Amino acid sequence: MKSNTGLVFALPALIVLFMLIAYPVFYTGWLSVTNDQGQFTGLQNFSAVLRPRVTTQALWNTLWWVAGSIFFQVLLGVTAAILLNQNFMGRALVRSIALIPWVIPGIVAATTWAWMFHTEFGIINYMLTSTGALDEPVGWLTRSNTVMPAMIAINVWKLFPFVAIMVLAGLQTIPQELYEAARMDGASYWEEVRHVMLPQIRPVITAVTLLLVIWALNAITIIYAITRGGPANRTVITPIQIFRLAFENVEFNQAAALSVMFFAVVMLIVLAYIKAFASQPGEVQ
Amino acid sequence: MKSLKLAGFFALSVLSTVTMNTGAQAGDVVWWAPNWGEERARTLAQKYMAANPGTNIKIEVTVANGLPERVLTALRSGAAPDIIEVQHGWVNGYAQGDLIVPLDDTIQDKEDYVKAAIDYVSWNGKIWAMPYRIETHGVIYNKDHFKEAGLDPEKPPKTWDDLIAAAKALTKSGRYGFGITGGGEVGNTIFRSLPFIWMNGGDIISPDMKKAVLNSPEAVKAVEFYTNFYKQGLAPKSTLENDGLALRRLFIASTVSAYQSGQFDLPAIQKENPNIKLGAMMIPAPAGKKTAAVLGGWSYVIPKSAKNPVESKKFLQFLNTTENQGYYTDTFPARTSSIKLPRFDDSMLKPFAEMLPYGRPVPVHKNWVKIVQAYFDGIQRILLGDQSVQKSMDEANEEIQALLN
Repeated sequence: MKSNTGLVFALPALIVLFMLIAYPVFYTGWLSVTNDQGQFTGLQNFSAVLRPRVTTQALWNTLWWVAGSIFFQVLLGVTAAILLNQNFMGRALVRSIALIPWVIPGIVAATTWAWMFHTEFGIINYMLTSTGALDEPVGWLTRSNTVMPAMIAINVWKLFPFVAIMVLAGLQTIPQELYEAARMDGASYWEEVRHVMLPQIRPVITAVTLLLVIWALNAITIIYAITRGGPANRTVITPIQIFRLAFENVEFNQAAALSVMFFAVVMLIVLAYIKAFASQPGEVQ
Repeated sequence: MKSLKLAGFFALSVLSTVTMNTGAQAGDVVWWAPNWGEERARTLAQKYMAANPGTNIKIEVTVANGLPERVLTALRSGAAPDIIEVQHGWVNGYAQGDLIVPLDDTIQDKEDYVKAAIDYVSWNGKIWAMPYRIETHGVIYNKDHFKEAGLDPEKPPKTWDDLIAAAKALTKSGRYGFGITGGGEVGNTIFRSLPFIWMNGGDIISPDMKKAVLNSPEAVKAVEFYTNFYKQGLAPKSTLENDGLALRRLFIASTVSAYQSGQFDLPAIQKENPNIKLGAMMIPAPAGKKTAAVLGGWSYVIPKSAKNPVESKKFLQFLNTTENQGYYTDTFPARTSSIKLPRFDDSMLKPFAEMLPYGRPVPVHKNWVKIVQAYFDGIQRILLGDQSVQKSMDEANEEIQALLN
């Protein structure tokens, strides 16, 4: 009786939840095995979407994009957090300024960076050529070996402040006694970082990294606004391919099929990650 | 409970707005007109209403951004306005989807219209829209740069060889002779490179739309001609990130001396840099062959769900008299008699007007967006230096063939 009452109270929320989350998920699954007339076609959409060369290329690009972004975001974020944890004048101001990239809307940041990277008008080439660092302008966004690193750099710039702020919060929960104890034992600053700070903030880094992985896997704004996946699909990542299929080619069924496969891959990555890093509570101390 | 009331109130207000929008009177004609022609549209509507009391022309102004989605939604919802202005290329899809009505009984003096424009909006032996505005690209160039390079600005290049020679002479001291696009939206590069393939006798797909023909010698030669401007340093280094707008900026900044565009770029250039002495030429063709261009422009359609088709057709006939069509269009009118109006008697516009008979519609295929994407990827592979022209077009051809089956 009692449990039933609880269900009744939860029901409105559950219905809304179902309509907003479960229904679209199941509908995507249904779309992926039907054609645009709604007839069941089995795995036809899957084979159609796997055939073009761009699908494989997009998958590799996605891996580079995610790995590159995460590595530098965490590295820069943790470094920035450790620096911002020191005592110095104007620390609060610097902490606020450091957050700016994260607060700027993605589309604004992307468009601004596109202009800064532009071969002809861009400030980056202007600064590099006028100081003599480069003889002639570099096509950052148009050379096959610089365009993906440029995208990753923008993504790192955009999200490392988030890592920094989260890690900083973690650092501030470390009891002062731990540092004192370490110093008693004659630990250098570097040893303090390695043996006190990093182990203490490990749960934070694990959680933040998981978020970053999920965000990077779904990130579309920066790349789509700057290169639309070009030149010659050099920066197409799978979410952009899905977007193109659905909204530029109006192939909702194929887009759904690709989404389903992508979802499966993402789930595998996330599960593997959680198993490897997140569930070792004994090791933190 | 309060929120429920609130929700009910919202629902009601939404409903009432909907009914207000569609609650047209018997004599009403609702006309979706784009914002760039709003003033002229109002003038024409006033004139018509003065001559036809009892009819009320209601203008709803549209904007280019997101217009195709908006029109399609309106057509599919069954609550469309009476007259919509759409691009020629969209019409065929509406006709095949049974969303608009044929206008064979409405169009007057069909022979007076530019044939390519009529072809564009024809399907299954019927005319589905009334074209009123047509345009193609020409080449805009900087006359002073021509002089400085020792070229005669009054005798612009006519053949491909002339154009290459001129571009080579113009390219010096940070200037680029001929700007091409290789970035931005796919359409930018299609409009600029496909004409070269056409004038050389090639195409992307065969006329019956069964076979991809992009790797034919004619097409490959034309793609090579186009991409070589970049490969040989005659187009800016930023080519792979440039669309039509970027080229215009580079032209205004005097970094590019010539580029393909429509006459709609001329006022913008003059406004931002009045010092540039503008010239315009027809797009050069291979020696002994005819030039070509992609035909663009706008048409009127009447949706199947229009409330007042009879009056709308009458109004369309009024809008498309020689006089009124010539008055309303932004670029050129689709009627040859309208082009003779004094408004179009401008030496700057002459090359663009001369291009019109060479304007061609792009094929209407359900996978066209993917087809041109495959072609565009191929162009980018060449510009990036990944592949030779032949190899890249072979690959694109194979992808396109898969889309035709």
